[in-house]
Amino acid sequence: MEPFSVADAVLADARAGDAAALEAVFRAFEVPVYNLARRICRTTEDAEDVVQETFFEVCRSIGRYRGDGSLWGWVRTIASSKALMKLRRNKYRDTDELHEHAAPARREDTALRMDLEAALERLSETSRAVVWLHDVEGYTHDEIAGMMGRTPSFSKSQLARAHARLRRWLGEEVPAA
Amino acid sequence: MTHLTIDQLLALREPGSEPGQAEARAHLDACPACSAELDRLHQRVARLRALPTLRPAHDMWAVVDARRRADRRARQLRRASVVTLGLAASLGAVALVRPLVAPSVRNDGGVTEAAIAEAREQSASLEQMLHAYDPDARMVSGRTAGVAQVLEDRIAQVDQRLQTVDLAPAQPARNQERLDLWRQRVGLLDALVDVHVTRASSVGF
Repeated sequence: MEPFSVADAVLADARAGDAAALEAVFRAFEVPVYNLARRICRTTEDAEDVVQETFFEVCRSIGRYRGDGSLWGWVRTIASSKALMKLRRNKYRDTDELHEHAAPARREDTALRMDLEAALERLSETSRAVVWLHDVEGYTHDEIAGMMGRTPSFSKSQLARAHARLRRWLGEEVPAA
Repeated sequence: MTHLTIDQLLALREPGSEPGQAEARAHLDACPACSAELDRLHQRVARLRALPTLRPAHDMWAVVDARRRADRRARQLRRASVVTLGLAASLGAVALVRPLVAPSVRNDGGVTEAAIAEAREQSASLEQMLHAYDPDARMVSGRTAGVAQVLEDRIAQVDQRLQTVDLAPAQPARNQERLDLWRQRVGLLDALVDVHVTRASSVGF
């Protein structure tokens, strides 16, 4: 069952351009879209821009939504593309190395371990986007590669690097046997 | 013993079978360390999925809706412009033919076809500028969208009046009205360009 949806009648009205129905679509998906955007983008401002861009596109194109997949799947793909576009447009510096050096050395003291939220935030834009899209949103490497304009291998290597870092920053590494 | 790499562990989660996966699974069955590592990977992903949902701090529908309305009006404006430009082209053709049948193209009060043509040319040039800037594809604040919407509405009104005037039988007395309307259109388009382009350059687009 879809986690987010709207009634068929609302969808039909939205496709006809009805303002109240379009607002209902916005209300149904604004939180998951914002959450996705905020997890991928560095700032709340960027995430809000992505929400705005996403729903502007939804309002413009909902007449062309054919109902092949779920409405949430369609909206989510638009949101993911807009978020990735935002990353490209902002040309964030990839600060992997900086982050890695800035990360505290792993100790046995669990109090010094980063929490998952902070570790995720510490990943580079690209790595975080791949982790979120693959592990949480459930996109395949092929789909992520398509959205990013890269190869599936790139997506796989970003995911592997991200997990290696998360494991280290979360203090989950165990000494090799 | 060589343990599985993260790439290999991640590949085990993927659907389908990739080269080397059978060997990796066999190793996993025999290696408690790698098996524990895969468990930790699964747990990490489960924790990622369980992170709290982040919610927007304020309502964004007003901005989206203002932009949607501005977009709809811009589309209407474009449709109206096509009609107006078509009419203008027809009238231009009439103006070219008219000297052959009616030598006097001068009209009352010194208003000339040339002044109207000039205003029409300025209008077309501003429309081209707007088209090149492509405001529909850009993000705008609610306030900017609101101002643009008012201007586009007024341009649409001017276009309607221009259509009425242009469709009326040719009368010299109508030329002043046509000229005023074209100049009004130029002024409004100029303001619209200012709203979009000035705002864009101020934020470094």
